[in-house]
Amino acid sequence: MNILQLVIGLIACVGFCILVNVPKKAIIPAAATGGIAWFVYQTAMTMGYSKAVAAFVATCIVTIVSDILSRKVKEAATVFIIPGILPLVPGSGMYYTMSAIIESDYSTAGAIGTETFFTAGSIALAILIVGSVLRLFTAVRKKIYWN
Amino acid sequence: MITQRQQRGFMLAIISGEIMMKSGGEIYRVEEIITRICRACNIKYVEVFATPTGIFASIGSGGEEGDIKTYMKSIKSRSTNLTKISEINNLSRKFVNGDIDVEDAIKEAKAIDAKKAYPLPIISIGAALTASIFCGLFGGQIIDCVIAAALGTLTYLFSVLLSKYGISYFINYFVCVAVASFVALVSEAFKITTGHDFVIIGILMLFVPGAALTNALRDFLTGDMLSGVSRLTEAVAIAVSLAAGAGIILTLWNSIGGVFS
Repeated sequence: MNILQLVIGLIACVGFCILVNVPKKAIIPAAATGGIAWFVYQTAMTMGYSKAVAAFVATCIVTIVSDILSRKVKEAATVFIIPGILPLVPGSGMYYTMSAIIESDYSTAGAIGTETFFTAGSIALAILIVGSVLRLFTAVRKKIYWN
Repeated sequence: MITQRQQRGFMLAIISGEIMMKSGGEIYRVEEIITRICRACNIKYVEVFATPTGIFASIGSGGEEGDIKTYMKSIKSRSTNLTKISEINNLSRKFVNGDIDVEDAIKEAKAIDAKKAYPLPIISIGAALTASIFCGLFGGQIIDCVIAAALGTLTYLFSVLLSKYGISYFINYFVCVAVASFVALVSEAFKITTGHDFVIIGILMLFVPGAALTNALRDFLTGDMLSGVSRLTEAVAIAVSLAAGAGIILTLWNSIGGVFS
């Protein structure tokens, strides 16, 4: 079941890669990043973590995988990060918040809205934190290499 | 004095930076590319200030008495095209290593700029895949996925068409999502699909501002606060336009009470 999730996430991201014009040779690795993201997100959810935590963990892994892939495939890391975080972006939360507001069900809207906001925030936080750490690593490694 | 070759190199830098910014590159990448190309032309003084809506660059021959030239390039439209980013990246690397002449590089940069995205049939397949699979992942049945695939393709092509006529992204996404929601509601009323929620979510996933959000954060990360804030605002504006598009149609539908049900 979980492997199926990975494959399905991957296929969805192939579609998205075409929409954002990922270079041909990078489509499969970029889509695989998306598949991994969805797999990790689902696994974390079944382990009982909240959406925000699951998205945080998944984004951390996406950012690290993108960094590794960007060296292997020799493309910019963005090429992998943008398709990679797509499955995590809370599109459904956004929709359900809006539909609750329309039905004047403000307590549900508040609950789902907060969750959506925190999910988006945790994706952001994960990119920021992991990005900074990776930058630090590269800087240190360069220094050791040069001296 | 700024020589003719340096002048052309500066042009190359500006063109490359502009293409990169139009295709959704990060600020630090744009600034770095312009600086590197100028340095490769032996320009002593280079200063770049890039924002998502414009690039400002000055070059000088060095010293207080030297020539200074400034170029300002405003950027009207932005989209995400990762192929162009990677090709401009490679071109600039080739130029800095001295593998390519200035004039050839300018020609090649213009060719990259003129390059089309993937052909429309492939884009349609991409949109269909994305919309239908996300519809399924968020709980839709098989028939919902089929409708989402068809609707997603049409909506995405419609949005490509609208952006060709220079319609701003806010109205563009608003109209597209509104039309898609309407069709989803009608097909639910005719009992073709089991529910409108999943179909609409599948369509929304085509337009969610993932790229804007990522870029905003990567700009914050490198300290380009101005661009970070403007791109974050862009992401929020996109989210609002999507929610408003679906919301208005749902409200109208509810207040009419559903024409066919």
